[in-house]
Amino acid sequence: MAESSAELRVRSERVGLVAVVYAGDYLNKLSGERIERECRRSLAEGCRGLVVDFRQTGMVNSIGVSILLGVIDAAGRAAAPLVFAGANTQAAQVFEMLGLTRHVRLADGVESALKMLASDSDHAASYAADRLG
Amino acid sequence: MSTEAPLQHATHRRILGRVTPDLFVGRGAEVEEIERLAPHHSGPRGLLLLAAPGAGATELLRQTYDRLFRHHGTASPIYFQWSRDDRTASAAARRFLHTFLSQLVAHRRDDPSYVNAPPPLRDLIDLADPSDYEWIERLVDAFESARDRADERALIHLCMSAPQLAASRGARSLVLFDDVQAAERLAGEVNLGIEIAQTAVNSGVPYVLAGLRRGLIDTLNGGNSPQRFDSFGTLNLDNLSDADARTLVERLAYERRVALNDETRDLVIQQFEGSPFYISTFMQSARRGGVGLTSFLECQKLYVDELLGGRVNRRFNTVLEEVAPVLTTRRALIRVLHDSAINAGGKSPAEAWRRRLELEPEQLYPLMNALHTHELASFNATFMEMSTNTVWRDYLKASYRLQVAAQPRALVVADTLVETLKRAPQAMARHYRRATALGLRELLARFDAQRVPASLLHYDRFSRIYRGAEPDEVAAGIDAEVDLVRLPQVVHAASCEAFHPSMRQVCDEERCAVAHGFDAAPYTDANEIVWLAAEIEGKMEIGRALTEVWCDRLTQVAGACGFKRTRLWLVSPEGFTPEASELLNEREAFGSSRQQLELLTARLSPELAAAESARSQPLDEFEMVIPMGGDTELIAANTVEQIARRLNFPSEAINQIKMALVEACINASEHSLSPDRKIYQRFRVESDKLTVTVSSRGVRLPAAAPANGRNGDETSPDDTKGRRGWGLKLIRTLMDEVEFESVDDGTRLRMTKYLSG
Repeated sequence: MAESSAELRVRSERVGLVAVVYAGDYLNKLSGERIERECRRSLAEGCRGLVVDFRQTGMVNSIGVSILLGVIDAAGRAAAPLVFAGANTQAAQVFEMLGLTRHVRLADGVESALKMLASDSDHAASYAADRLG
Repeated sequence: MSTEAPLQHATHRRILGRVTPDLFVGRGAEVEEIERLAPHHSGPRGLLLLAAPGAGATELLRQTYDRLFRHHGTASPIYFQWSRDDRTASAAARRFLHTFLSQLVAHRRDDPSYVNAPPPLRDLIDLADPSDYEWIERLVDAFESARDRADERALIHLCMSAPQLAASRGARSLVLFDDVQAAERLAGEVNLGIEIAQTAVNSGVPYVLAGLRRGLIDTLNGGNSPQRFDSFGTLNLDNLSDADARTLVERLAYERRVALNDETRDLVIQQFEGSPFYISTFMQSARRGGVGLTSFLECQKLYVDELLGGRVNRRFNTVLEEVAPVLTTRRALIRVLHDSAINAGGKSPAEAWRRRLELEPEQLYPLMNALHTHELASFNATFMEMSTNTVWRDYLKASYRLQVAAQPRALVVADTLVETLKRAPQAMARHYRRATALGLRELLARFDAQRVPASLLHYDRFSRIYRGAEPDEVAAGIDAEVDLVRLPQVVHAASCEAFHPSMRQVCDEERCAVAHGFDAAPYTDANEIVWLAAEIEGKMEIGRALTEVWCDRLTQVAGACGFKRTRLWLVSPEGFTPEASELLNEREAFGSSRQQLELLTARLSPELAAAESARSQPLDEFEMVIPMGGDTELIAANTVEQIARRLNFPSEAINQIKMALVEACINASEHSLSPDRKIYQRFRVESDKLTVTVSSRGVRLPAAAPANGRNGDETSPDDTKGRRGWGLKLIRTLMDEVEFESVDDGTRLRMTKYLSG
């Protein structure tokens, strides 16, 4: 399947020391790896918290989900809390079935995720609080 | 088509069954009926199992035996097959006693090894359960005493009454007697058939008496003084239905690793008329010969091999040897049978047979009776009528040419192969036509003096009122009609061909029917009427000329058969032109379209209409092939979503099905090393479930362990190896049933989701 150059990167933004990474419409091997790379890059750049936003994700597969373990792994090593936000029922079920929810928390949306992180870490909270006003 | 796998792999041991339970198809109801005899209850005390030749009665009994053997605390199953190899009635009875005690001990000790390798009679005493020891020892002593006295009558009676004696000592059994008609010709002073019947009826022990349907009752009655089987039920065992035969062929192909496709599968079924014996034999030969069955040519080559030298040949040889043991008589018989077969109608006078076979009447009668019993011909007192069974006729023709006309074998093989190849497409076409026939005979049989709206029998009227109307409007209009026709009470309905064989030249048997009945009470000459109904093929309204041909044709049949008062009824899918309708009215004949017929069926027989409706619906099966890679699994997921919506699955279930399908596709892509890089999918919609089959060519994946082998419960973020491995786990969680199969060249995953799940 041909991809435009715009599709080659996962969109992300910084909210203070928290990186919000936006997953695409299909979480498979390729898009999973892009998310993983983006998360690692953000951590390397000094982010102290990660939110992966699945609001746009209609379908996930097990390979894509398995790659999220790499994200969990990387976040754990960096002592950066991680939240998956906006996952639809199906994706949330899969995360649950495959045991990811033992290592990562789910939030309804990015805002909720940021609130979770804010209450978790003083450091991240101060930045998140700036953002939330 | 790829070969279908058995739905369930049985795990229990086989004792007498010759095939695994997976390959024993279409006999569930019969097995249950026999099993119901095992516990004490108030139902029938036994069953007469009347089987068509090759319908699989022996395997039915053997499979039932294996099932019963697993149950403890109920009757011990005893299977015994009568055989002419015993030669004398006393030898057969002695073998029965030995079999009975061996199988009884085996069941009560839960040790099936004694079934297939019975210990000597005296050893069984020591092996018996302590509670059985005493009576078995006494029985064996009594047996040896009767044997030593050479008292045949006492010996046979003692042996045959063993189940009764055992029951009186608390060892209840269920006796399955197979091939009972074989007892008829055993030598000796005792008529074993009568002895079996008397024991079975009077002993209080449940019996299944199985045999060929044309010979069993005669054997049990000994040709006279009919035994009353009032306490017995009857089980009729015919060949398999088309659907069951399809399942059998597919499972055999899978099990035997025989390549097959839909076309050849159906040809095998049609050629062998759904006989489980012939189908199993044929598929076994394909496996032994390493023959694929992916073309009509391959099928017919194997068929001809079977016919001229295989097990099919040996089966008919055996029957003919039994019917006519003397070689010269047998050869003469083949000539007479062959000549009768090529006669118009396949009939010939019994007297002509006697002269040509040079037999005395007392020799001729058993011969004709044996042919009748094996359904190779029908013996009707004064004439013989040849069976129309295709395999038998093919065998007969080839045997005649080889054994009587002494033609070169190569010529016979070549001609037979060419003929069967030419015939194959015609046989299939006939099968398709038969499958789409409207079922006039069944409908006529259900008339039962009911009143129906007249418009259903007058196409012109129906067309004028309802043409173009919505179904609801038509139904309401018909319900409101006051002009009703009283249909006759039909007392007998049969195909027209059965009355007038030449009709087979102009139409299929299923498309023309004759029904005798009365159009009013009482049953008098004046009220007697015969309906002659025919289904005429046509894509448009039938014109006057063709309508006239059919009216004349049916009138001729009525005249030839001596029918006095008749009613003609023509049915055509699209009805009749105004001119044709005018002719029908002139002849006081009825004319209906398919739509009218369906409405009539719904009124007369709602269950028949429902079955027809289910049959006529297009099969809800879809197939799709996608290339591997490039996220094509999403295309499959979108497709299955549309299909699942047709079944009104809730959205959560639809998502689960989509997810499972995506997993199945990526599993196939990642692990099969597929040479064609394609994923084959089949979606089958049934009323309560959706079954998705995903297959791919290439490396077979182990069925037991998930191909990408991890268990999701063990997820650890520290474990960076084997992060894959959740595909099959997910599929199993998301779907209700999952089967993972290795097939000839690749892997197949079948997943089912139930609506109620």
